[in-house]
Amino acid sequence: MNIFLIFFGKIVIFISKILNLGNGSTWPGHVALNIDKNFIKNIIEKNKDLKIILIAGTNGKTTTGKLIQTILEGSGKRVFQNTAGANLLNGVASSLTKFSSISGKINFDYAIFEIDENTLPLILKNIKPEIIILINLFRDQLDRYGEVNAISKKWKDALASLDSKPSLILNSDDPQIAYLGDAIKNEVKYFGVKGRKSQNTEHASDSTYCPKCASKLNYKTATFSHLGDWECSKCHLKKPKPDVENFDKYPLPGLYNKYNIHAAVLTARELGISNEKIKKALINFQPAFGRQEIIKYKNKKIQIFLSKNPASFNQSLNIITELKARHLLIILNDRIPDGRDVSWIWDVDFEKYLENFTEILVAGDRACDMALRLKYAGMDNFKTYESLKIAVTEALKGTPDNEILYTLPTYSAMLDLRKILTGKSIL
Amino acid sequence: MKNRQSPIVNIQYSITIGWLYPELMSTYGDQGNIIVLKKRCEWRKINAQVLKLNEGFNEKLLDSIDILFMGGAQDTQQKIVSKDFTVSKTESLRKKIEDDTPGLYICGAYQFLGKYYKEADGNKIKGLDIFDLYTEHPGVGKERLIGNIAIKTSDGSVVVGFENHGGRTYLGKNLKPFGQVIKGYGNNSIDSTEGAIYKNSIGTYLHGPILPKNPQIADWLIEKALERKYKKKIKLEKLDDSLSQKAKEDVLRKIASF
Repeated sequence: MNIFLIFFGKIVIFISKILNLGNGSTWPGHVALNIDKNFIKNIIEKNKDLKIILIAGTNGKTTTGKLIQTILEGSGKRVFQNTAGANLLNGVASSLTKFSSISGKINFDYAIFEIDENTLPLILKNIKPEIIILINLFRDQLDRYGEVNAISKKWKDALASLDSKPSLILNSDDPQIAYLGDAIKNEVKYFGVKGRKSQNTEHASDSTYCPKCASKLNYKTATFSHLGDWECSKCHLKKPKPDVENFDKYPLPGLYNKYNIHAAVLTARELGISNEKIKKALINFQPAFGRQEIIKYKNKKIQIFLSKNPASFNQSLNIITELKARHLLIILNDRIPDGRDVSWIWDVDFEKYLENFTEILVAGDRACDMALRLKYAGMDNFKTYESLKIAVTEALKGTPDNEILYTLPTYSAMLDLRKILTGKSIL
Repeated sequence: MKNRQSPIVNIQYSITIGWLYPELMSTYGDQGNIIVLKKRCEWRKINAQVLKLNEGFNEKLLDSIDILFMGGAQDTQQKIVSKDFTVSKTESLRKKIEDDTPGLYICGAYQFLGKYYKEADGNKIKGLDIFDLYTEHPGVGKERLIGNIAIKTSDGSVVVGFENHGGRTYLGKNLKPFGQVIKGYGNNSIDSTEGAIYKNSIGTYLHGPILPKNPQIADWLIEKALERKYKKKIKLEKLDDSLSQKAKEDVLRKIASF
């Protein structure tokens, strides 16, 4: 059965690549799982030497995965990853199809899978990973995921019922994530980032109450959102001591990327890779698509900052402000991968940043909602477009050749934008 | 700046907006409602200040409030708020509401004003018992009511939003709904009612947040607050709401195509 499913999947991947259909990274897996629900389990059991690394969290999965892949490949390992964003069971199954031989043999040392928040418990029933990395939990797509507390509870239950003993790599600065380490008997290592002194966390802070006793947390320092050096005012549960909170050379700017880089470095160290090798491998790191990716288009430069929830949107605004951005295109969609509820844009702190931009263009399915948000943030120099193509053309016209057009799209908007700029579909 | 000639002295109106538990009861972009109330006052030169009423706030602060607002929350957060509502704090809020203080209570806050909330496992959490309503979760595994929603309020205007709730709310005989569901689920997906309106207080499941795309509700709250405070009929200056209207039409088109 497997041979047939793998063969069939490979043909689908091949055809969708030729025809530029853009669904080769989920559809073969979808079909395979429908015919054989143990497809993933079976193929993994055939490849006992394949080591698996799982990455879950709201923001940073794709970048962290790419960082780890780059480091591992730098030390001569053979590594594959599921396609960014194809992080449900069908995405994992599809990538197994793609990287195995017809007989189901996988000639790689490592598989890195980024996993959707809701899918983590399911995937753990099929796969025994070597390492699980949990990066953070922010409010995101509340219509699909439910609330942050509900997800962390699901994760806790899933981790507690594991019969294997993977190492856990956890974010010490995110109370909900760090607390998972308390509940589990596995080996746990922590990464964090040194923050600034601050009493106030941002408005969209989800976890400023103790995950154990629900009392108010005190923060000695904070980085962003609810991440920082926290301690419970009542039961004194506090941030565990991080094993990595510094690195000599960061291949990507932005505070949020420090977390991703520290998670990757800690993972690499766990796998026995020396600091020298890690540093050397990361020198030539290229960002994943849509994550600070720069695309050249007709003599102009466009940089894409995927911005899909309040935490990531605030971080994007923060970093492009540091980069002295002047021309900005915001694209808001409300399709299934974006979350159908766009309420979250009111949790983004636009008021803090908007005066820095000379021109703002707004597009996407819910452009008017975004325009309304900007209006109430006190802006008046923005333009709203129904057509993304026209918005892109106009935005480029307004951006001088020696400047960069900064774009902040939601997930499906990012795919649309890339398609316009490169002519290719990804998913 | 000099103000050389101003023969007519306008009264400078001012109001205080009380934001109940901004840290705990604020999950779905609820701060957008506060932003809208404040801005629409500012644009009309009405002085508006926001008073954040956090866990452990002194209930005497309620005396100075002209508009009350409380948003939705996660279960854990709601339990913390529940504990913070002592008997006397509950009585102070009841007095405010009975005394016609305009207020907007979204989702979790709306449920909390009722008699009780029965959780999926059957456990009952006592509410403040100010609104004659109760809410029950139909049980583990039962669907949440999620999606874009449009309702018609008693004045005939269409209100749009996004709902996302597990609990089903049932109104007592004498409590009026906030609106009738045109498309969506509303209070319980059975009787086509949505929300509740009691005196000048609105309880509703509508996020979105509700006020940016339905500014007439914001203006109603502001008007009621000014009338109550200054004890006279007040007509607010009209604002350009064409952008709100367009955003609302986008949602209505989306709903119609479903």
